[in-house]
Parts: sequence; structure tokens; C-alpha cells
Amino acid sequence: MTDNLLSLLVVIPLATAVASLVLIRRRLAQRVLGLASLGSMLVLALGWLSEIRDGDVLVSQMGGWPAPYGITLVFDSLSGLLLCAGLVVALGCYVHSFSVIDPGMERRYFHPLIQLLIVGVNQCFLTGDLFNLFVGFEIMLMASYGLLVIGGSRRQMGQAYKYLVLNLIASTVFVISAGLVYGMFGTLNLADLARIVEGRVASGEGLPTGFVGVSVLLLFAFGAKGAFFPLWFWLPDTYHTCPVPVAALFSGLLTKVGVYAVARTFPLIFAVGEARDVVVPLLLVSAAATMFLGVLGAVSLNNVRRILAVHVVSQVGYMVFGLSLMTTAGLAGALYYMVQHMIVKSSLFLCCGVMEQHAGSDDLGRIGGLQKRDRFLGVAFFVAAMSLVGLPPLSGFFGKLVLVREGWADYWWLSVVALLTGALTLVSMLKVWTKGFWLPPVASEPTPGSDGGAGSGDLRGAYVGIGFLVAVALFVGLAAEPIYDIAFHAGEQLTDPSAYIEAVDPHGLIAAGGVTGGGG
Amino acid sequence: MTTVLAVCVAVIVTVSIYLMLSRELKSIAMGVFLLGHGANLAIIAMSGSPVLPGGDLRQPPILGDGHLVDALPQALILTAIVINFAVMGFFLTLLVLTARRTGTLNVDELALEDPPADGPVLENGGIGGMGR
Repeated sequence: MTDNLLSLLVVIPLATAVASLVLIRRRLAQRVLGLASLGSMLVLALGWLSEIRDGDVLVSQMGGWPAPYGITLVFDSLSGLLLCAGLVVALGCYVHSFSVIDPGMERRYFHPLIQLLIVGVNQCFLTGDLFNLFVGFEIMLMASYGLLVIGGSRRQMGQAYKYLVLNLIASTVFVISAGLVYGMFGTLNLADLARIVEGRVASGEGLPTGFVGVSVLLLFAFGAKGAFFPLWFWLPDTYHTCPVPVAALFSGLLTKVGVYAVARTFPLIFAVGEARDVVVPLLLVSAAATMFLGVLGAVSLNNVRRILAVHVVSQVGYMVFGLSLMTTAGLAGALYYMVQHMIVKSSLFLCCGVMEQHAGSDDLGRIGGLQKRDRFLGVAFFVAAMSLVGLPPLSGFFGKLVLVREGWADYWWLSVVALLTGALTLVSMLKVWTKGFWLPPVASEPTPGSDGGAGSGDLRGAYVGIGFLVAVALFVGLAAEPIYDIAFHAGEQLTDPSAYIEAVDPHGLIAAGGVTGGGG
Repeated sequence: MTTVLAVCVAVIVTVSIYLMLSRELKSIAMGVFLLGHGANLAIIAMSGSPVLPGGDLRQPPILGDGHLVDALPQALILTAIVINFAVMGFFLTLLVLTARRTGTLNVDELALEDPPADGPVLENGGIGGMGR
């Protein structure tokens, strides 16, 4: 693709954000505009995704500048699948927010912030070079800082700094490592870097000193954003303070972008040669610890939103598991798992929001009997929860099946941890289901001050959002094959990047000349 | 020249880590900002020493022939500075609002602000006062 059409996926939300700022006092116009923006992007992305079913790579060189010099946007199986999943999540949460978001928050730039978040996420998924990945991260994070404290309640303010400080440190480490990579190779284009690294390893020239160090620094930066094992503490503390649609959106998008960055850059560049021997064991240990410690948190907690938040951590472990295998099927499994997790987890958060609306609390000791009160919610929550656990016809099963089967040969202990985590996930989800929906409520009188009146009247948007996401989750499970096929193409492209490199950077101008930037 | 830059980066990063280990959010914020500056200096070092082995200086990347300064790290830093600046503004605003809402900027006291299991979950109040 020689034209610049891919940039629409960044331009549309950016333009919408600006337009929303102008229309800040007109709620309806903002909502219609936001829906139109998300919907049109989803249509575009799905169209392009169907175009690359067979493993093609769509590339836009901005302004016609060829790859190592200009800005490149790449739409391949990996980025395409995640883009579509991300937009589905955003659409579901956005519709949901119409009936639960506080009008005051809407005036406080809720709509523009959502669109800016999408700008950042889309740019991260699409970009073809390391520095624009950083910029995409920053746009996304700036929007997420704003959304995290939207409303400005005491609890939000007291917790926001953890997320902010950790992400600032991670971003700084990221930008330092990007600088080091430029110093080593004289380019930041991912395809160009992959070509150089591959060439050096093949010719026996060896990688520059400090390459392993840069790999580990980048792993730290992405791991902090993706909530990998030692760096996940910020997540449970922040997700339960912000408004529900925002928490759902964060759980679907933010950590996944960190995982995506690892999936994009590590098999291609930073886990090649001797770096592989350092990075893979780190990923393996991190995967096991993330899965298991996350789910232990979920079993011990008693508060629905916190349970869901630590489940985000635990599920990230499965994705890291797939990444650490560095095989075609392992990466494909990780990608499929990411797609299904984004949708399922967001729908669970949205269900939790409606539970709070009904019961006035998300403490399992205080709520109960919701199944009688709201059948639809009970069924939707059950389907989503069982997808998360991974019961057979539902989506989580296929992701786990691929990962466990693929990991069994080399890392059977990790597969055992994964299965054990699955069992504990079932325990914690059944705890929520039984106490929240099945058993009669503990306190017989309805909680005073609960939004019973307001809650029953205008929850249509909330139900549409939940229904949409649960339907997509069912589709991802029942029609697993076409989606897994695309994921498998992505896995192939990651393990054998020649197609990606050819599509992005056919000439390899810098690589051919062998020029490096400066060197100290 | 590269050695001088390396020493500067080392000093800045050390000071910033010391600041970040503090229990006061103000110091932590200053540490984070300083770390950003350290990162920028580290990147400028990547464009190589401005002094050529013969003693001449590299030329500006617009005019001149022969040994030009690599302009790309400077472009990267420019972007990073803008982003840092925006984040700094946000962080300082957050500090002011946090102090106003919770009455403290001490990390330990903020941790006490958030009792894990109970407390009202749907907080619809507290919007009107934001920023004013």
C-alpha cells in the first residue's frame, strides 16, 4: 500500500478529540461524534484485517519517505488483530459509559480523553519504529492519567501517583534505551534494526557491547506498562478507584499495549543471539510468578473490583508465557489469548459496574441475590467469567489449550502452573458468582442511598455495552478458528520476520551502507 | 566530551534516585523530573562527541560539509522534552490537588487513605471542586 490511508486510524480519533473539545458543553453531539469515530475506525480496521487474512502486510510510509528515514505505519496480522480487539473494547465501554458516567465527568473532558487514549493505543499498535512507539505510549499514558483522576475524588487522588510515578520511570528507561539502540545501530526503524541484528548474528560479527543490557532495560520498560511480575503492584491499587467504564477500558487496553510491545520487538530484535539466553529465562520466571501470585490475590480478596483487577495481572502471565516460548504456536497462542482477554475482561468490569449500581457496593460480604434481580446481568457475568476461566466452548479454553500444549514439551512446569492458575481462577470466579448472584443477600434491607431508582431507569446503554462485548466474546470462542488462523500468521511473521522486513523496508538503505550513528 | 556527559548523567541519575526514595511526593516528583533530564543527556551523548579527533568541531547539520553533527538524537530529545514538560505540568497539578483533597503529600499517610475492603464505592461527589 503506497498511500497513507493507515494514518486514518490515528487521524480520526485525534480529529474527534479536537472536535469534542470544541463541543464540550454539548453532551449529545460529543457522544454521537465519539461513536461515529470508534465505529468508523472499527469498520476500517476490520476491512483491512480481512484484506490481510492470508498473512500480507500493509504498510504506509508517511509522506512517501522510504522506511528507515520516514515514519512507517504497519498493519500486519499482529497489529491488525489487536487493533480490532481494542476498538471493540473501546466501543463497548464507550456505549456503556453513556448510562453510568457522571455528567460532571463528561464536562471534565471525558470524551476527548477517551479519543486521545485511542490515538495513543492505535499508534502503538501501528507504528514501525521504536521512537514512535515511545510517543504512542506517552500519548496513551497522558490520556490515561487524565482518565484515572477524572472526577477527582479523594481515593483517586490518593492512589494516582503510584501509576504516574511508575509509568514515568518506565518511560524514561524506555527513552534511554531507545537512545542507546540508536547509538548502537544508527536507526530506530524496527524492520531495519531486525535486518542489521540478524545480519550481524548470521555473519558472526556479533552484537555490540551492551545489547543484552538494552534488551533487559526495554523488558523493564514494557514490563512495567504491561504489569509483569515484579512490576504489577500499581495495578490493583488504581483500577478500583476510577469510574467503571474507565477501569474496563484500562483493563482491556493499557496492559495489553505493554505486552504487544514485547511481542513486537523481542522476537524481532531484542531476543536475538545472546540476548535470547538472558531474556527468555526472565520471561519464563516472570510468567509463572505473574500467573500464580495474581490468582492467589484473587482468591484471597473479597471485593469484586479488586478481584477483577488482580485477575488482569494473573492473565497477563498467560500472555507472557506464550511470548517466552518464542515459537510460532506459542506467540500465536499469546496473541489469541490477548484478544479474548481484552474483550472478556472488559465485559467483566462492566458487569461489576452494574452490580455496584444495583447493590450499592462491590463487597462480596454485603451483596447477594443479584441473579433474581437482574437475570441478564447474571447470565452475562457467568458467560464472561467462564470464558476467563477457560471452560471448553468459550474463548479462554482455546487460548489456554494452545499455550499449555505448546509449553508442555520444553517447560512442563510452566504448563502445570498455568493449569493450576486456571483452577484457582475458577474458584475465585465461582466465589463472585455464588456470593454475588446465587446466595440471598446478607443484609435484607436494601442499602440506603443506593442508586436503585436511577439504576433501573437508564441502564440501557450499560446493557448494550455488556451485551455487545459478551456477544463478541462468545464469537471469539465459538468461531475460534478464523481468529486463531490470523494469530497463527502473526506468529509466523514474528518467528520469521523476512516478510515484515521486506514489506516495510525493501531497500535497507542504512543496513546496506553499514553506517552507524556516532558511537561514543 | 563523552566522558563529561557520562559523569553528568551519572550524577543526575544518582540524585534523582535519592530523591525518589523519599517518602514525600514533592521529592519524588522532583526525582522523576530530574531523571527525565538525565535521559535527555544520555541521548545527546549518542550523537557522538562534538569534538573530532583532530580537534575540530563537528558542523551544524544544516550547512557545511564534511563532519556534521547527527541531528536525529536532537530531534528525539526535543520530542522527549515536550512530553516531559507536559507530564511535569500534570504531575504538579496532581500534587496540588492531592494535597487539597487529602491534606497530605506523605506516601505513608496516603496509603492510609485507602482502606481496602470498605468505604463507599460509587463516588459521584467531589467533581465540582476539581481545579478550583
